[in-house]
Amino acid sequence: MKLNQLILATFAGMQLAFPAWAADDPATNSIGAAQAEIPAYTASGGATQSVEAAEIEALKKEVQELGQKVQTLKQQRDLDQQTNTDTAKEQIQNLDQKVRILERQRELDQESATAVAKAQPRIAVGANGFSFGSADSNFVVALHGVVQVDSRTFQQNDKVPGNDSILLRRARPIVSGTVFRDFDFLFVPEFGNGTPGGASSATTPSIYDAYVNYRYSPEFQIQAGKFKAPVGLEQLQADVNTSFNERSLVTDLVPNRDLGFELHGDIAGGVLSYAAGIFNGVGDARNSSNIGFQDDREFDGRLFIQPFKQTSLKPLQNLGFGVGGSWGDSSITNTLGLPNTTGGSLPGYFTDGQQQFFAYTNGVVASRTHWRLSPQASYYYGPFGLIGEYVISDQDVRRGSQSADLQNTAWEISGGWVLTGEDATFNGVTPKHSFDPRNGQWGALQVVGRYADLDIDNAAFPIFASPASASEARSWAVGLNWYLNRNIRVNASYSHTSFSGGASGSPSAAPGSVSNHPEDVFFTRVQIAF
Amino acid sequence: MKSFLKILVPLAFTLAVAANAKEIKLLNVSYDPTRELYQDYNAAFARYWKAKTGDDVVVAQSHGGSGKQAQSVINGLEADVVTLALAYDIDAISQQAKLLPADWQKRLPDNSTPYTSTIVFLVRKGNPKGIKDWDDLVKPNVVVVTPNPKTSGGARWNYLAAWAYALDQYGHDDARARDFIKRLYKNVPVLDSGARGSTTTFVERGIGDVLLAWENEAHLAIKQFGVDKFDIVTPPLSILAEPPVAVVDTVAKKHGTSDVARAYLEYLYSDEGQDIAGRNFYRPRSGKAAAKYAGQFSPVKLVTVDETFGGWQKAQKTHFADGGVFDQIFQP
Repeated sequence: MKLNQLILATFAGMQLAFPAWAADDPATNSIGAAQAEIPAYTASGGATQSVEAAEIEALKKEVQELGQKVQTLKQQRDLDQQTNTDTAKEQIQNLDQKVRILERQRELDQESATAVAKAQPRIAVGANGFSFGSADSNFVVALHGVVQVDSRTFQQNDKVPGNDSILLRRARPIVSGTVFRDFDFLFVPEFGNGTPGGASSATTPSIYDAYVNYRYSPEFQIQAGKFKAPVGLEQLQADVNTSFNERSLVTDLVPNRDLGFELHGDIAGGVLSYAAGIFNGVGDARNSSNIGFQDDREFDGRLFIQPFKQTSLKPLQNLGFGVGGSWGDSSITNTLGLPNTTGGSLPGYFTDGQQQFFAYTNGVVASRTHWRLSPQASYYYGPFGLIGEYVISDQDVRRGSQSADLQNTAWEISGGWVLTGEDATFNGVTPKHSFDPRNGQWGALQVVGRYADLDIDNAAFPIFASPASASEARSWAVGLNWYLNRNIRVNASYSHTSFSGGASGSPSAAPGSVSNHPEDVFFTRVQIAF
Repeated sequence: MKSFLKILVPLAFTLAVAANAKEIKLLNVSYDPTRELYQDYNAAFARYWKAKTGDDVVVAQSHGGSGKQAQSVINGLEADVVTLALAYDIDAISQQAKLLPADWQKRLPDNSTPYTSTIVFLVRKGNPKGIKDWDDLVKPNVVVVTPNPKTSGGARWNYLAAWAYALDQYGHDDARARDFIKRLYKNVPVLDSGARGSTTTFVERGIGDVLLAWENEAHLAIKQFGVDKFDIVTPPLSILAEPPVAVVDTVAKKHGTSDVARAYLEYLYSDEGQDIAGRNFYRPRSGKAAAKYAGQFSPVKLVTVDETFGGWQKAQKTHFADGGVFDQIFQP
């Protein structure tokens, strides 16, 4: 039996079995038609066979076409899905690129901002003053200042009237800086009163420091201008860091600021410090004017060694000793080579209270050679600090046809202890806790003591100095220094100076008069330095 | 006795030399993609100098965008030698800081350029955007990565190579060349300050379809990141990049390194120096090394800055100076 015959037979059987289904369902019309003709088939046999086969073929074709349509739709759907996926992928990739680009741009912007920030000028305000400079630090200008408000109260006021004072001891706006990386400068004018470098009544502003320093390396630097001559240890300590209001008698014998050129540096990280220079030359304790016409020069120099500075021996790291000195041979005789006139009107030496106890006689001038030698040492360990210094000032003097080589000497030792435990240093004390009473912080407290002696060559008397002047002064002093913070300091100290020689009788005023009576002075100071 | 002397004399000589041996420090301020070249070369030179003089040479390297590096030297970076991307940057050091004479380029062979390079395209593996030549870079859907020509020497070579192509393509019509460059930079989304930064952008950050790169930088990226990541496309026309070298006389004199600095650069022309250049994908000047490494470079027609742009001074002034063509066409 052929397949189509079998199908027809099957349909016929189904029609007989389910006549109602065949009649009622319009969707089966064609099948119903086929069933209606079955009797004919069965009746006529092969006559209708070809017609039926054609119809079956048509149906098969229709089924095939429907299958193809379904297949096409399916393929179309798959294609659409693929297209959508590709589009989505592309969109994602594009978005991914955009995100990456944005991230990279942000990265580059940050790099750029960092670079720009590095190139911006820097401004700093703090305990060290105000400074502004180029980003690479090759150009810097810093503003600093010092103001010291002092009082001096003499305990024997009835014997030397008119010396008690409240005074502006120092008032200095300070400008320092660097240009072209290696060139430093410092400019320090003085607007204060009672300066030890000039007359005690000086009120005219003067220039204290004005120099340019070329820094090739820490070991090799050269400085030109007006600055402290490298001789005395105590003199070289900054004004704001000295233990007492006034330096000791030993500083009476060393030069203050002078005009000149100096080669200096620190070798091996400060183990060895050296300075050597050529200067106009000034008398003891004198501060040079801004001009000096003289044919001869003075040579000053200093070596200072801190042998343990770079070792691990902490107790010895800040032990230092050295020697300073000067030598000059002037063909011109004048009073400028003699000591300063502080405390009086003639060249001489002065006390802690800035009174003159020794003065050269009117008409005495410096003549020929003047040399100084100053062995010196310092030691700091923890809260303890100590400095000591000895000075010989050998001065040729002349009065009329008479001349002499006078050798005046002085020494001092001073020490201190920081009661609050901070480290004492040559550069002062930095409190661990700044003054803040609301939070129970009080700064740092230091006790200090000092003994000093200055001995005038006996050969000075009576030709070159009046016997009314003392031939020796001895001074002791004690004090309390209160460091409220890095910038504010309050001092109080008491100083007693006694004399050998000198005139008897009632003292009136310096010079000389103070030599007959011990000097007792109570000092106070309020200082701001930044 | 003779045997004893034979041992003693050389030993004494060696000890004497060793006693006098010193360590010499040089600073080579270079541009971005030479890091690897000079790492190799410094070691070789140190060996050479030690054998020749007994002295140790330690060469410190500084790398960045060539223009920025030159400015750093002008501003005080104490370079004993400079090995920059283009002569203009060393000219700037000479003119602005007077640290070396104006005729510095005549002091060494080949205009003081011991090796050359060119600009090629680094594309993603399989070159999905089908980039073959410069005009493919201006198509709208192509993202190009190149550094900023204001700060990068390599970027200036890229820019001029593209401009040279456009001139060649459009009958030396400057206006059309300018339009071409404008369209090209429209496809540049990120401008790094140096060539190495752009390589980072393309290779590590995965940005863009093509990186305009120094030839050596492109080879290095493939060597470093694998041949399965990138392809190099060498366009039919590119530019002959001549990165020059020079002793910074004033600094070297100050450091007491003039002799060793000069020798350092001269040794770049030696067989070993040239071999190291080739090994690092620079095109060596010497025939021997060039032949040895010829296989790693595709043939390309190279134009020069002098012929096409009238020299670096003119090119700089026209294209890269403030307000120049690049400033006019590129708006970030």
